[in-house]
Amino acid sequence: MFLGRVIGEVWATRKVSDLEGHRLLVVEALDTGSGPPAPMVTPVVAADPLGAGVGEEVIVAFGKAARVACGGDGDFALEAAVVGIVDGHQLNAGESA
Amino acid sequence: MLVGTVVGNVWSTVKDPSLQGLRLLVIQPFTTGKESAEAIVAADTLGAGVGERVLVVFGRAARHCIGKGHDIGFQTAVSAIIDRMELADGRTIGPVANEDI
Repeated sequence: MFLGRVIGEVWATRKVSDLEGHRLLVVEALDTGSGPPAPMVTPVVAADPLGAGVGEEVIVAFGKAARVACGGDGDFALEAAVVGIVDGHQLNAGESA
Repeated sequence: MLVGTVVGNVWSTVKDPSLQGLRLLVIQPFTTGKESAEAIVAADTLGAGVGERVLVVFGRAARHCIGKGHDIGFQTAVSAIIDRMELADGRTIGPVANEDI
């Protein structure tokens, strides 16, 4: 699981049937370090059953947790999903969002 | 799951018997910065071609996409061929690598 920010959305027509009706968001991990910014790397695509918007902070789960959050179980073509929309977080004294 | 661009095909004759008949693609993951990520090999049942943007899944979800049961020696698969990806910084990523807006 990780804390991330929604940076975009993906659309696909040709896809496995399990993905029908699922909104797919592009989520980038929040850089919570106090040092220099982490290099920008591969963002995760996560299914979104909650309706998060671009720019919002979200909690992303992987594996079975993600499939359960999307109403599936073992045999489901998803392995990442938004399981929470973050209202606020506090990382250390004086730094909150 | 991640978005990547199909950059090639892989053929293999000597392989685990459970991988017979799988079409294998080489995929370059999409990155938000200038750094490139390590290429990955994924099984494809949708018929994605070189240059197309695809969604890649891992693990059990990938084996489910491959459709040969869960006792196979593979863990990445293409689950969708992407039409469009819109990013918060204003970029729109098209279905094919050289058609970005």
